[in-house]
Amino acid sequence: MARHAQKWRDAPALNSGDEVNKASQSMEARVINPRSALLSNYEVLSLLQELEADHLARTKIAHRIKKEEEAAGTDVSVPIGGGRPSTAVETLENLRTVSFEAIKYLSADHQSTTSQTPEAVTELVKSLESYGFTKAEKLQIVNLAPQEQIELYVIVEELEDRLSQEQMVEVAEHVKKSLAAAPSLSIVAQPSHKPLIVKADENWDATDDVDEEFDDQGEGAGVEGDLDMEED
Amino acid sequence: MFNLAILKDTVAVHPADFGTPQELAIMTELNKKYANRVLHDVGLCICVFDLTEAGEGKVRYGDGFLWYKVVFRMLVFRPFQTEVLLAKVMSSDHNGVRLSLDFFDDIYVPIHYLPVPNAFDPNERAHFWHASGDAEAKQTELLDTPVTERMWIDKGEIVRVRVEGDEFYDDEPGPVKMAEGVQVVKEVQTRAPFTIFASMAEQGLGPVSWWATAQPEDGEEQDEIMEDG
Repeated sequence: MARHAQKWRDAPALNSGDEVNKASQSMEARVINPRSALLSNYEVLSLLQELEADHLARTKIAHRIKKEEEAAGTDVSVPIGGGRPSTAVETLENLRTVSFEAIKYLSADHQSTTSQTPEAVTELVKSLESYGFTKAEKLQIVNLAPQEQIELYVIVEELEDRLSQEQMVEVAEHVKKSLAAAPSLSIVAQPSHKPLIVKADENWDATDDVDEEFDDQGEGAGVEGDLDMEED
Repeated sequence: MFNLAILKDTVAVHPADFGTPQELAIMTELNKKYANRVLHDVGLCICVFDLTEAGEGKVRYGDGFLWYKVVFRMLVFRPFQTEVLLAKVMSSDHNGVRLSLDFFDDIYVPIHYLPVPNAFDPNERAHFWHASGDAEAKQTELLDTPVTERMWIDKGEIVRVRVEGDEFYDDEPGPVKMAEGVQVVKEVQTRAPFTIFASMAEQGLGPVSWWATAQPEDGEEQDEIMEDG
């Protein structure tokens, strides 16, 4: 009888020990490649703005659902057994902070991103092909858009040996052309290269009423007045 | 400036989030964990770019979370060496100039990376470059120069700098020390986990306004720009 009890006690102990081991192994974050690709400032800006617009849209929907429920007197937002209200959009403090500040930096007046478009950037990179720039140099030309020769000197090593005077002028021309192409910044409205988040909105688990609401959020997605809402 | 790092991690999704699409729930968790944090030798994490690979969600003994093994791409800020950046002057002191990128404030231009000859004027709390001066000039001599000949590196000015290097620090607080039953609070100088060192000592670097007209010696131009800043 005693032996039996001991066995019974031993077995789970062994098991749980195993589990802990496995868990600690799998939990550690690992860096597979610290630098797999470089992104231009413009790409980063459009990505962050997309994220921002998406967040606003979701906050807005959540807000409306809540209001409707309140109006109908059926406040079921807090699930039975407690927990987070199903309609609340989680605000990720850190993410919001860093993306807000990064957008501020990337869309400042001294940055070239304000007058770039995806087409113009692609065009610019293509036109730089023939000068034998390195990848990093091309990236910086896109990011900094050097129109003055002195700016190009800073970016490109041994510029004088590598390019003739005419070629330098040509490069400056290409840069100027790429900037002139964009009259205003309308990144938010552009097709996303990140369908994941957009899909999330389509799958939004809601009633028919809400689908209607969803239809008109496209115009208001970037309205600044909505910024206050996530404070609630 | 920005790049994509491929990372691998295991995330737990709370049952309250089971209603949201899996990818979104996982990305939210990852953003919660990484956004605005420095990853050692990788850089400052901004946000998740996309998920490369995600395993089946598994329930472990002890909680109701779904645990996913994920491989994902993270948008990371870490300028490469020799990269040229635009930054704003945040503050100046005897050791050099500190720059800000709004979302990242730990960029330093040490005194030996400032254009030569330079000096720090304690009255103005700013460094200046005496462009037409003798490179061997002493600090005291430089501080005697007429103010109009000086080219200031003022607070709030946009400067172009070259990244010379970066450093990561991982200062762990270590175990709590007890002395006679009382916790001893050690004075630990807090270092920024990720610091970038940049240079202005080159033609074309420094305040953007210096080079905007390619005639940096023009005193009037200089004054005008300073008023703007």
